[in-house]
Amino acid sequence: MGEEKDLLSSLLLELRRGTQTISVLSQMKEPKYGYALVQSLEEKGVAIDPNTLYPLLRRLQNQGLLESKWETSGAKPRKYYQRTEYGTKIYEQLKTYWENLSDGIGRLLREEET
Amino acid sequence: MTPNEKELMKRYIYQVTRRLSKAQRDEVRMELEELISDMFADKGSMEKALTQLGDPAEFAKQYQNDRQYLIGPEYFETYLWFVRVVLICTAVPILAVSLVHAFGHVSVFTSQNAAPVIIRAIVDGLTTGITDALISCVSAFGAVTLIFAIMERQKVKIEMKKAEKWSVGKLAEHKKTAESRWTPSFLEPVPDKKAIISRGDSIVGIVFIVIFCVLLISAPQFFAVIFTENETVKTVPVFNLEQWGYILPVFVLSLLIGLADEILRLVVGCYCKLVMISNIVCGAIQIVLSVVVLKVLPIWNQNFVSELQLALEDETSQTTKFLSLWNADMVSNGLLTFIVLITLFEIGVTIYKTLRYGVSIKNH
Repeated sequence: MGEEKDLLSSLLLELRRGTQTISVLSQMKEPKYGYALVQSLEEKGVAIDPNTLYPLLRRLQNQGLLESKWETSGAKPRKYYQRTEYGTKIYEQLKTYWENLSDGIGRLLREEET
Repeated sequence: MTPNEKELMKRYIYQVTRRLSKAQRDEVRMELEELISDMFADKGSMEKALTQLGDPAEFAKQYQNDRQYLIGPEYFETYLWFVRVVLICTAVPILAVSLVHAFGHVSVFTSQNAAPVIIRAIVDGLTTGITDALISCVSAFGAVTLIFAIMERQKVKIEMKKAEKWSVGKLAEHKKTAESRWTPSFLEPVPDKKAIISRGDSIVGIVFIVIFCVLLISAPQFFAVIFTENETVKTVPVFNLEQWGYILPVFVLSLLIGLADEILRLVVGCYCKLVMISNIVCGAIQIVLSVVVLKVLPIWNQNFVSELQLALEDETSQTTKFLSLWNADMVSNGLLTFIVLITLFEIGVTIYKTLRYGVSIKNH
């Protein structure tokens, strides 16, 4: 029983991990700070844990998909992330790919129901 | 935020950042201060916020996207194989040489105490041998690991498979195709069972060459006629130890060339043009060097006969007969013939197996 649960959670983790980049990129047209992104993703039903999201944002920045800026004018310093031009280009391609994949998977899953 | 909550946050951030590289630390600390205070404002409790973030060690792991291993999966198989071969080729010769040395130090032995003295020598040899072998194996293991770790860091591409694929004909082919793009034409024909070179044979060959090399370098005096007289061991060396400084390098060079050939066979693992060419070239050089060692250089102890006669004061008719037969020239010629025949035989076998079963260009 425990094993089944472990297997399921590791499979789910894998499945989620693949979708995290595209989820984050989709929200980054306008500058956003980390926790606002956590909340907006959660509201839209695609929650990403903060301890996954923050390192992911850094990675995407290192890959040149996002750029960041510290905003120090407010009550406390906040780091705002935004998609770069390159990030937008990659995001568009990911989006097309995702839509095809999602259609395909949808067809596969419906096949069994009929 | 109470001072207590602030303290908790500081502790949490410290636990994450201390696991990160120096370059990351400051930035991540600021990010986490922002995140945790946001979460605190949202949840209303530091306890809740930090519980949701979870184990700081796990959090830190997410930041460490760089490699967390010394030798990655790309090299691991090659590494394991290499370590095994190097350990065998280190331990076996050291044990053997230690045993030989132990016997060399046996000083007194008579017919009465022969057994205990010999046992003692074996035990001594084994003790020092095992100790030395262990120490050397640890160093060898460390050296191999270090080399592979450096290769991993530098992403040096050494692929053993590449060596297998290489053949003269391939050179032209490689230029035509974009070098790294794999196509089905890269597929090698499955080697015939008889074309596969036994790894065991290669390793045994390497071990023997290393043992011989080490003995020639460290203890040429052990190649000698050893006998006991008046409870002391007397030795009459076979080699010309006075000129050893000239002879040894040539001797060792010849062995090293043989060693290189064996190692190539071990790495490539089957008969192909590369192995054949290497075998022919190395064999030829070894024959030439053997001629130099045996016919040109004064390898033999020129006073062998007289020293032996002097040592054997109570010569019997048999020993006199043997001594009268000792003729350095004849021994040289005999050995040379033997070496040439063996080498030619090996080259012959290699050529035959390569042409008959080897992975050759005609298959492409």
